[in-house]
Amino acid sequence: MFFHIVLERNMQLHPRHFGRNLRENLVSKLMKDVEGTCSGRHGFVVAITGIENIGKGLIRDGTGFVTFPVKYQCVVFRPFKGEILEAAVTMVNKMGFFAEAGPVQIFVSNHLIPDDMEFQSGDMPNYTTSDGSVKIQKDSEVRLKIIGTRVDATEIFCIGTIKDDFLGVINDPTTA
Amino acid sequence: MRRIPHPKPRREGKFSFGTEGSPDLKFNFSSPKSDGKFATPIGKGDWAKGGKGGKVANGGKTPVAKEAQSLELRVEQELPKNVKCLMDCEAAIILEGIQEQMVILSEDSTIKLPESFDLGLRYAKTGCYYTNPQSVRRVLEVLSKYDVSYSEICVIANTCPETVDEVFALVQSLEAKRRGLSEPLKDVLDELAKLKKST
Repeated sequence: MFFHIVLERNMQLHPRHFGRNLRENLVSKLMKDVEGTCSGRHGFVVAITGIENIGKGLIRDGTGFVTFPVKYQCVVFRPFKGEILEAAVTMVNKMGFFAEAGPVQIFVSNHLIPDDMEFQSGDMPNYTTSDGSVKIQKDSEVRLKIIGTRVDATEIFCIGTIKDDFLGVINDPTTA
Repeated sequence: MRRIPHPKPRREGKFSFGTEGSPDLKFNFSSPKSDGKFATPIGKGDWAKGGKGGKVANGGKTPVAKEAQSLELRVEQELPKNVKCLMDCEAAIILEGIQEQMVILSEDSTIKLPESFDLGLRYAKTGCYYTNPQSVRRVLEVLSKYDVSYSEICVIANTCPETVDEVFALVQSLEAKRRGLSEPLKDVLDELAKLKKST
């Protein structure tokens, strides 16, 4: 889910960036440092939408760098346990399938795929119902529920299920 | 063509991530105080590698307990108060505006949008089923009078449900309020249907 949030960060600036364009330099550095990163608490920082406040700079002893506390608004994307997402399938194997929802990767184990769907190997591995009416393969769109999340330095990874009511394939690329 | 998945046929025997039957298979997914790793006594179960995902099952179909309560949305409890939930359609408008600005700023080659921005924008656009996000927000805000949280409202907007049963199945945290919520929810869904984009 997307959120609009105000975050704060201490930005260090080298004296060579001081001058008329100090604020612009600070904002550029903030964008380079923060956009695209991810944290466990806030998720992916997708984009900075504005600067709320830049505090007074403090010179650090011994280095000459100045630290500015910057409050900024940004759009973040963070998945939550219990959330319903629509994701595009990227890979299918006998253990389950991988899907992507925005910058987040989701794995759905075969234990969390309905029992009436069986894995079919081949050039285009897929999960199909016995009557062939529903198929999950690469590029299919599925609605799934997040049941767990893991965050590391650069990405968020989730476990999902399609076993509950109203979950499963939305769009089959072969019939679209 | 977009198709809504239907309720699953009820089957005997439930899956459970053996918290009772198999004490070894104990999972603790989201623990904010930890470093974010999945904690399993089995060892270094790395969910990122699909092949190892099968290790969980230990070869047969292990029962998975339906932890209905722990799968309820707890957004407001985990995020600070100043956070505003955005519907996908609202996020799409904000991110498109930023993308247009980047065309102007792109003269400075050091400023580049990260990959997560493109992925986020693409996801927000595909999840956008309505013509006017402000109208959608206005229609759904009626539900806040019935103790529906903003995060639950956003899930309803993003999933674009067609029936009241679908809403209660997808947002389990609303089940407790079903009696008082069914009628207003039906009216809200009728209004939302008028605001949907024609496909």
